[in-house]
Amino acid sequence: MSELTTYQHHYEAFGLNILSDMLLPELPVHAGTDLSPLAVHIAASNHEDWPPLVANEHSTPSLQMALGDWRLELEGIGWFRAYAGETLSYERWDDSVSDRDLRTFLVTSGLAALLIQRGALVLQGTTVVRDGQAVMLLGAPASGKSTLACCLQQEGWKLLSSELSVINEQGLVLPGLQQLKLWHDSAASLGLNWAQMPLVRRGLKRYALLPPEAEVSSQAAPLEMIYIISRRNNRKDAQESEIQTRRLESQAVALLRLRNNAYQPRVYRAMDQEANLFLQVSALARRVPIYSLQLSDGVKPMQQALEKVDLLAPSSLEAKPTVELDASAEAQEEAR
Amino acid sequence: MSTQDGGYWYLASYPKSGNTWCRVFITELQRLAGEETPEELNLNQDVETGAIASSRLWLDDQLGINSCDLSFAELDPLRGGAGESAWLFAEGERFHKVHDAFQSLDSRGRPVVSTTGCLGVVYILRHPEDVAVSLSHFFSWPLPQCVNFLLDPSAALVPSERHGGHQVRQHMGRWDQHVRSWVDQQQLPVLVMRYEDMLMKGPETFLALAQFLRLPDAPSLVNQALLNTSIESLQKLEDQVGGFAEKPKGAERFFRSGRSGEGAQQLTLEQRRRLAEGLPAVMRRFDYEDVDKA
Repeated sequence: MSELTTYQHHYEAFGLNILSDMLLPELPVHAGTDLSPLAVHIAASNHEDWPPLVANEHSTPSLQMALGDWRLELEGIGWFRAYAGETLSYERWDDSVSDRDLRTFLVTSGLAALLIQRGALVLQGTTVVRDGQAVMLLGAPASGKSTLACCLQQEGWKLLSSELSVINEQGLVLPGLQQLKLWHDSAASLGLNWAQMPLVRRGLKRYALLPPEAEVSSQAAPLEMIYIISRRNNRKDAQESEIQTRRLESQAVALLRLRNNAYQPRVYRAMDQEANLFLQVSALARRVPIYSLQLSDGVKPMQQALEKVDLLAPSSLEAKPTVELDASAEAQEEAR
Repeated sequence: MSTQDGGYWYLASYPKSGNTWCRVFITELQRLAGEETPEELNLNQDVETGAIASSRLWLDDQLGINSCDLSFAELDPLRGGAGESAWLFAEGERFHKVHDAFQSLDSRGRPVVSTTGCLGVVYILRHPEDVAVSLSHFFSWPLPQCVNFLLDPSAALVPSERHGGHQVRQHMGRWDQHVRSWVDQQQLPVLVMRYEDMLMKGPETFLALAQFLRLPDAPSLVNQALLNTSIESLQKLEDQVGGFAEKPKGAERFFRSGRSGEGAQQLTLEQRRRLAEGLPAVMRRFDYEDVDKA
């Protein structure tokens, strides 16, 4: 029996050939049958058959880790294991757990752990592309990346990867997750027909925007610009519909901000990849301009602002008189 | 593990009950007892304002996932286990604000905060009539809504499931349920402080606090810290920093009046009766006279 028969689904994401026994609509489908060179496997497995693990000091009750072995236990949902950068295993907690529940964590935390095991640079960011040029939006969950990416689609940008983005050694962002997760309020404000959209998971008021409704690109693209997103914080001098950016001139600050936006830094430590991460983000900080970007609260002001600005020409939206203030706030943030 | 040796403390309270005052006092006491004492306390730089136990960043790091992908009901049973490795607590601040009740409706009887490595909890409570008035100023809510909130068994902060946020839902429940959840739990040593005693019997109440938290407890230091954190001093410090970081957008200032007894003046008789009838046992237990006996 060939691999393709056992693993019915074949994807190409984050530079990997992914063979899976579960349908993963968040990932771009692999067109051919070529399995070389980087095939990884996603398959159901009985977690009781997994060998005992001597967890290292970076582990937590949910996350048990040793070099090359990452295990996540989510009570009520399932068990997950990424091993040696090659296999991703899962077991559902009970029959009430849907495939959608499982794949929510498989394609995010699970694939990210596997990529980190392989030494990849994985950042918590959503990447959009236009005219073959990629712009990455970095920020913590709930910082507004997906809402901004959705607004940008209306300006002609396409989604390359959401939630996590992988940059290869050539500076290309690789196609990854092609699903935007939007909270109810964002979906409603964006004028989307949320009642017809699939839920991210049952019980959540978050909706999945997938192709064809989401405009996506499956071509790796050179990273031209990185924006680190924050929400505007009661700034009296800013107009409601303004987006403000400021270039992080200091390499040291840029490097720290990138490192702080690594996807699951704890996993880098546990997989002994922290030094590698440091080298990779150092190179990235030298190569790609990095800007902080303050978003307006609310979707409408964000849409209005985006009509006037070009993310590939950040000088058009740089903040002017508040640099000193921002620099001081940034220094405090780094100090924390 | 050395991180466990240091340990950490919770400062737990229903919102608007004196938690911030308590944290500012602790910071000031440590500042006064320090070898290098800066000239004056800076509210926005020196006082740790985060609520780490309900922080998404903290939970995401501990759980290894994006917590936005879990419902609040799924998250609550996991939250207490999230901090068991405790190193972040130990590397960060030692005193942690908590507004959650000790357990939530969804936490399956488990605490929603980590208890591993925790040395104890200071539970601060305040007359619910005064909490209602303070909530009204803080949230810009009408008083009847605040009374309903105090009596609501499902009351919570960040209750919306329709948008993300940097904090997860903090379930409080009815005011008396909140008090009992902390005061009667058996897993952590607890010091109960009434806001009214912090005001009226400051020196002895704060001395007991310093001793419980194993902080410097020379009466002269405690009294000086108390003087430096009086409501008048805090208002002055708030003006100096142009607004305390924890002040919500709609509120004029964070440190507003600090007095007790405003509820009796501003609530209607009917509102006061509703609180007295809805929360009788715990109000009696902590000597909060109800409207018909006052």
